[in-house]
Amino acid sequence: MPYWAERIGVPRTLAVEHPFGCPIGYPGDEKGQLTLLQAALSLFETCTTPGEINEFYDLWQEPIETAIQSWQPLEPSPIIRMLTPHIRDIIRQKGKLNLK
Amino acid sequence: MIDSFKYLPRLIALFYQNQEIEKSQTIPWTSFRSPIKQARFTIITSAGIYLKESQSPFDLQREQKEPTWGDPSLRIIPSSTKPEALAISHLHINPKTILTDINVVFPLQRMAQLAEQGIISGLSQHCFSVMGYQGFPPNTTTWREQTAPQIIEILQQEEAHGALLTPA
Repeated sequence: MPYWAERIGVPRTLAVEHPFGCPIGYPGDEKGQLTLLQAALSLFETCTTPGEINEFYDLWQEPIETAIQSWQPLEPSPIIRMLTPHIRDIIRQKGKLNLK
Repeated sequence: MIDSFKYLPRLIALFYQNQEIEKSQTIPWTSFRSPIKQARFTIITSAGIYLKESQSPFDLQREQKEPTWGDPSLRIIPSSTKPEALAISHLHINPKTILTDINVVFPLQRMAQLAEQGIISGLSQHCFSVMGYQGFPPNTTTWREQTAPQIIEILQQEEAHGALLTPA
């Protein structure tokens, strides 16, 4: 996730648009995984600026809603369970959004 | 442009987008002088992977009791480990996909293939696994003060040149 790489200060990033748990690609897609890894490793040779983010596009074939469901745990994590009743309030308190 | 929040449920995405997270003022940087075909790499994952037979899982019981706490411990994994010897303990993702093909997040086999093809020199003797969830708000003190120095010491001994970080 380039959002976090940028904030944390990762030296070199290959940004991908994959569901959580699968940064290297589809399970069983040996060719796709190798292609992505080569792209990531090539950054060691091509990046010259600290914090450089390169984008890697390999369209995830699964529909978005299915993919969102697939990566999530069967039960919400303890912190999500704890925060969920308060998330809307927390967001509202920031004053940036007005959720209905 | 890559959307970091594409696969998050909407409310969680909004929550993260509204967190006030300051950008890091300094970015660690070491120039890479060798071509990658001469370089030895390690993998550091935050997917909560461990050796099924000889290592304990990450402490999910404590996290269940203390949701704002995350296990900061480290698992050191030989690069020669077979996929079937690995397991995953993680409360924030469904491990099913990873267990189908662990290379999606911990690509030991794929990196070995790249070495066979001469794309890289090889893997260091050991790779590393931590639990990505470090509490809320995150507390990375142990990582900074103990885990990272321990990893660096091992990698210097094993003459690794670069690290591939794979978040879950």
